[in-house]
Amino acid sequence: METLGSSDCNLEILETLSEDAIQEITESYDGFFTTVESLIAGTGDSSVEDEFVSHVYCLCKYGLESLVRDHFLSSLEQAFEKGGASSFWHHFDAYSEKKLTNCGEEIQVVLCKALEEISIEKKYHEKCLSMLVHALQSFKEQSSEDRQNSDTERANLFVRFQSMLSSTLMTTLPQHFPEILHWYFKERLEELSAIMDGDGEEREDDCMDLDEKLRYKNGEMDVDEGYAQGKRLGHDKLVKNIGKVVRDLRSIGFTSMAENAYASAIFLLLKAKVHDLAGDDYRTSVLESIKEWIQIVPLQFLNALLSYLGDSVSYGSASSDLTSPLACCPSPSFSRVVTPSEGIVRWKLRLEYFAYETLQDLRIAKLFEIIVDYPESSPAIEDLKQCLEYTGQHSKLVESFISSLKYRLLTAGASTNDILHQYVSTIKALRAIDPAGVFLEAVGEPIRDYLRGRKDTIKCIVTMLTDGSGGNANGSGNPGDSLLEELMRDEENQENAGFDDDFHTDDKQAWINASRWEPDPVEADPLKGSLSQRKVDILGMLVDIIGSKEQLVNEYRVMLAEKLLNKTDYDIDTEIRTVELLKIHFGEASMQRCEIMLNDLIDSKRVNTNIKKATQAGAELKENELSVDTLTSTILSTNFWPPIQDEPLELPGPIDKLLSDYANRYHEIKTPRKLLWKKNLGTVKLELQFEDRAMQFTVSPTHAAIIMQFQEKKSWTSKDLAAAIGIPIDALTRRVNFWISKGVLRESTGANSNSKVLTLVESIADSGKNEGEELLTGDEESETSIASVEDQLRKEMTIYEKFIMGMLTNFGTMALERIHNTLKMFCVADPSYDKSLQQLQSFLSGLVSEEKLEFRDGMYLLKK
Amino acid sequence: MAAVNGYQGNTPADPPASTGSKQPAAPTKTVDSQSVLKRLQSELMGLMMGGGPGISAFPEEDNIFCWKGTITGSKDTVFEGTEYRLSLSFSNDYPFKPPKVKFETCCFHPNVDVYGNICLDILQDKWSSAYDVRTILLSIQSLLGEPNISSPLNTQAAQLWSNQEEYRKMVEKLYKPPSA
Repeated sequence: METLGSSDCNLEILETLSEDAIQEITESYDGFFTTVESLIAGTGDSSVEDEFVSHVYCLCKYGLESLVRDHFLSSLEQAFEKGGASSFWHHFDAYSEKKLTNCGEEIQVVLCKALEEISIEKKYHEKCLSMLVHALQSFKEQSSEDRQNSDTERANLFVRFQSMLSSTLMTTLPQHFPEILHWYFKERLEELSAIMDGDGEEREDDCMDLDEKLRYKNGEMDVDEGYAQGKRLGHDKLVKNIGKVVRDLRSIGFTSMAENAYASAIFLLLKAKVHDLAGDDYRTSVLESIKEWIQIVPLQFLNALLSYLGDSVSYGSASSDLTSPLACCPSPSFSRVVTPSEGIVRWKLRLEYFAYETLQDLRIAKLFEIIVDYPESSPAIEDLKQCLEYTGQHSKLVESFISSLKYRLLTAGASTNDILHQYVSTIKALRAIDPAGVFLEAVGEPIRDYLRGRKDTIKCIVTMLTDGSGGNANGSGNPGDSLLEELMRDEENQENAGFDDDFHTDDKQAWINASRWEPDPVEADPLKGSLSQRKVDILGMLVDIIGSKEQLVNEYRVMLAEKLLNKTDYDIDTEIRTVELLKIHFGEASMQRCEIMLNDLIDSKRVNTNIKKATQAGAELKENELSVDTLTSTILSTNFWPPIQDEPLELPGPIDKLLSDYANRYHEIKTPRKLLWKKNLGTVKLELQFEDRAMQFTVSPTHAAIIMQFQEKKSWTSKDLAAAIGIPIDALTRRVNFWISKGVLRESTGANSNSKVLTLVESIADSGKNEGEELLTGDEESETSIASVEDQLRKEMTIYEKFIMGMLTNFGTMALERIHNTLKMFCVADPSYDKSLQQLQSFLSGLVSEEKLEFRDGMYLLKK
Repeated sequence: MAAVNGYQGNTPADPPASTGSKQPAAPTKTVDSQSVLKRLQSELMGLMMGGGPGISAFPEEDNIFCWKGTITGSKDTVFEGTEYRLSLSFSNDYPFKPPKVKFETCCFHPNVDVYGNICLDILQDKWSSAYDVRTILLSIQSLLGEPNISSPLNTQAAQLWSNQEEYRKMVEKLYKPPSA
């Protein structure tokens, strides 16, 4: 009769059993059943135990050991299911429907109670089990089995019991239990966090106190210290409580559920903390304080918890191979089986990664606002940079930022100035995050594309470049300032670069540079050149929007011309400075014309002084003659100035005389040169004296000519007036509106309904007009004396078109290249052909779409 | 001034070999060529900006002394609807000497021979420096409609001229539109 566990053996044995044996087995079996029942119910006394042991012995004798074990366990299971599990879950029935937000305390009490109960029950069951083990062991000792085997037997039984227990609980698990656990840990952690926060604030004080104490060496406990210690005690107690709960949960097989619960609670708390700390304030860096908080609250908690649970903590040993953030998954649902020494380190990495990611997401979502606030928001940018270095999710930034750009900035409602300002800020901010400029390129692309579609982009860029220096603060002068700064920064860079170059000859330096080389980030577009070429240069990127620096320089020239023509004092210091800066950036050659324009002004000043000196020596002024002192002239080298809008103008006699006198003197001084007046340009300062008032104006010569005509004659028909001044009648009407709006002239319908009569208003009394009323002043603003760049371009393009038509008429078909070369060769008069092949191609395709040309097999030909 | 500077690389001081035969070598090349160049450039500009209907000319790709011209037959003449390609080659004496002008496309005309040579007084003894490419082309255009029958290069054409209907048929039969 050996101990045979398998049932098919028993069947054979059954044949050999005697009546007595069967009788004995049945009795023991019945006795075993009853003793087991009473044992588990806990109703029997000590005699039951003895009975139990003897029955077990008897059954084992007949090889029914497995039956004993199975029955005992299934009885335990039934009992547990009926008693322990159902009563355990019963505790939480009340929370199945309730919102869990307000009953943290309650949950704590209930959970502790339930866990305590179930632990007691479990302990009791374990006691029963060990009784069985004991009985089995005593049988084996007698049948001289070796101890080793019985120890594994015992462990086996307990494992089976444990898994039975947890599977019973799991199968009866109510759905809301994980949530209860989650809430429990959340509440506890918040409590802990509150304690630790207070602690953290006082920690510095403690240090101070400690110092002082060391100094005084009297070791007196002060109130603060006691308070802090009280807190620490509270913390320890709390951790102990939580530790107990976790341990109890573990003991009933909820290890991973408990871990999930506190992990998710920690992450939630961390997220809330990050959001709380980061908020909408971009003026301070929050990363450090978050890290500190992680160190103080969750890590201390985990540390305490793990050490309480008996998982010894020894960092350092494992930390070396765990530095990669990729080693741990940030997902809170990830349940780990790691050795405790690694535990804390892993937790730290997980928490920090999570914090970086949360902060990064938060900042990326608000990147648009952050950049609007740049440079005030640079701490936030710095934080984001660190987060991205850690998480490497740059592409997230690019995607999110581009979509917010498209949604918020690149819309018809945004002014070009705002877009440019934001673009410059973006460049600066992203330059901080990513000095290589890879992401900037991706982000900048949509902005550049959009800006290229706007007509006033060039104008705005040039204004930004030059304004702020001119001192004319017209509201949004800020971006201009920053761009001028850029210009100057560039200047410094250039000097530094030259210095660097000298160093490059040094072999050692070359080696250092080579070893410092870093590959482009993976997101880099290989088509767009390597790192070295992709220097982040704001001006360069702005020029890139425009297409070519020539265009920018040309626009600047127009603007400069406008500015210079409106000057009356020859004060061009700021302009000289700007031109010098631009020269550094764009090269001497391209700024040559601008320089000549400035030189014209300087020469004009000298000539003007000379002419006035010569005049003062001359005769006294006659009646109705004007002193030369009232006149200053700007002498232009027409070839180098942008085309000037010419408008005929008859100046009143005395003025005309003054001008021709001036011109004569110029001729005397500068023979053989002669002055040709552009009479419609410049400004006139004049004072109008009426019967009851005097008014001062600074107006264009045409305006002045108009009002002067009213000196002799108080009333003019517009037709006569136009003839007297020598300008078209519609041009006159436009100009006259200015004087009407100022209340100087009055318009009335004349005898002929087609002609209007303009009358001078001598006194406000008969003006019949409110003083403050201003009419039609707006349209005067748009009038400029310089042909705009668009006009110039259109003019140039018509010439090119004629040339292209001409060559195609005579050569039939031509390839793009040949057209380009031919234009370069023969279109040399002003304006000479200076377009790129690409520009020509787009121009030609424009002509094709206008059905002037045809494009066939790579050749252009005339559309017949 | 820009015009002069922009053309340094292609001054005819060193004319390409292909045109050498057509051009009589001028003794004072370098000095004159500058002014010839200028003149031709301004003529080109004038022609491009307002040449007139049915006439056009443009220098060949690498040589401003060799031009290609195009004239279309005037309305209400037998040449209506046709287009003729010409070549004009200028000497360094231009505009004091007339350019050599030839028809490149075959033209059935009393004053044009089978080689494309043209018999037109202003291209020979009646030349004046006041004439330019534009006036040459206009003269040839009007010559198409009003030939000088008295001194024909193409006698067949001269004889047929009186029968405009037949002449038109002949023109259509011989006409080959110019290609590149």
